[in-house]
Amino acid sequence: MQLDSRTLDSLVEEITKQVVATLKEQTGQSAAAGLPPTPVACPRCEEHGVQHRPEIARQALQDGASRLSTTLGLRSIAQDVAQYIDHTLLKPDASQAQITQLCDEARQHKFATVCINPTNVRLCSQLLHGSGVGVCTVVGFPLGATPVKVKSYEAQQAINDGATEVDMVINIGALKSKEYELVREDIASVTRTSHNNSAICKVIIEAALLTDDEKIRACQLAKEAGADYVKTSTGFGPGGATLHDVALMRQTVGPEMGVKAAGGIRTYQETVAMLKAGATRIGASASVKIVQAAKAA
Amino acid sequence: MSDIAHCIDHTLVRPDATQAQIAHLCQEACERGFAAVAVNEVHAQLASELVHGCGVAVVVAVGFPLGATSTRVKSYEAQRAIEAGANELDVVINIGALKGAQHDLVAQDIAAVIRICHDAGTLCKAILECGLLDEDETVTACQLAQAAGADFVKTSTGYGPRGATTHDVALMRKTVGRAMGVKAAGGIRTYQEAVALLSAGANRLGISAASSLQILLEEATRATGQASNGIELGEWAR
Repeated sequence: MQLDSRTLDSLVEEITKQVVATLKEQTGQSAAAGLPPTPVACPRCEEHGVQHRPEIARQALQDGASRLSTTLGLRSIAQDVAQYIDHTLLKPDASQAQITQLCDEARQHKFATVCINPTNVRLCSQLLHGSGVGVCTVVGFPLGATPVKVKSYEAQQAINDGATEVDMVINIGALKSKEYELVREDIASVTRTSHNNSAICKVIIEAALLTDDEKIRACQLAKEAGADYVKTSTGFGPGGATLHDVALMRQTVGPEMGVKAAGGIRTYQETVAMLKAGATRIGASASVKIVQAAKAA
Repeated sequence: MSDIAHCIDHTLVRPDATQAQIAHLCQEACERGFAAVAVNEVHAQLASELVHGCGVAVVVAVGFPLGATSTRVKSYEAQRAIEAGANELDVVINIGALKGAQHDLVAQDIAAVIRICHDAGTLCKAILECGLLDEDETVTACQLAQAAGADFVKTSTGYGPRGATTHDVALMRKTVGRAMGVKAAGGIRTYQEAVALLSAGANRLGISAASSLQILLEEATRATGQASNGIELGEWAR
């Protein structure tokens, strides 16, 4: 049978809900019987799990399968992905005209925020006043190699100018040297400054420069420091967001903390895949194209 | 002995640079007689301690590499860098403002940092990022930096779309005249490239750690016909 992708997605989602409900029942029964709970993480999820590879499920249905079994993990992804997107323009040569256009688009499509360099915060704050779109800026960006005092000062200035969200880069060299106290205090300082001013703080780990152990450690430190999100990438490093990294970060920080995927996300499919892998925010420059594709899907 | 080491800022501004690597950088600079070590601000204090007394300056990058922080933040950063021991600051101009022809803003931004530098006896280099500019913008940026009192203009951050070219350097030298410093940086990997940029009018080169040693090795090889100055690249070869 031929199914359009929206129907397929709904089917996959519905099937998953049923499986999740069944697994929860089973888990309850196992616990009562003194058995270990049914493991919920599929070790081969990345290769075969429907949340990472929705096209497998889709293809199976297209090929004529009338029943699918999946493991749990698939969250309900709102068709309206705009609400998850930080509409981003961080190029150093961005003009005022481009920034203005960014804000217009954000208003129109109701993105979560615009994400811009600190010099553009004041303008964006003015343009977006009353729109419901937040102003996200970057601190210690993109190298993360300024001292604690400087990052905090930068965060404070940005918030004074109207920023509601601060994406800071960790001290990557310190992380690699296992100077965890320093890394944590760096994050905590910017987080404190943000929270004292009703702003939220996202922590960019620059995953493409890190080993998996370092990614885990960075996420743990960010969580300990009280940050609101961990974020994969600056977009200026050697690599952008990957499903592997997002899933690893989500697994590390648990279900409550924010996970932002950024860097190289250009299509609606990639956006949905990141969200399904555990992201709750997406940093993208191609946001308009993404939501237009979402409407057509 | 090298003829060009004294023109080179021995540079490590990667975001994942560790203290151990900075220590290597400083040791090499002292041994080889580089003009300076160039580091991110988080390593300024360590570098300052390690090169103390060996005639090597400490260059710290500010507003780096995007130049898109406010004047207030660049100024604060500059002050902290100087307190930590910086002798020279390489500061990125507000590139967006330059391209938007907001010349006053560009000038005020760099002038604020220059004032802080000069009050402390520190040199200030203005980084233009030529790879993002057309020729007119490069000329304008040079003029604004010179009028604001910068000690050098510098071609690139090394993080932009391209590094230094002899064309950039020649244009900058022509614009600022003989007295002002011109630093070429970004993508300089061979002795030949280094010499070409110096010939085009640069009097300082920003070169990444591994490449600096490679260039001295090439220089020595040309001089004697065989590699003889005992440089080992191990730490930096990636």
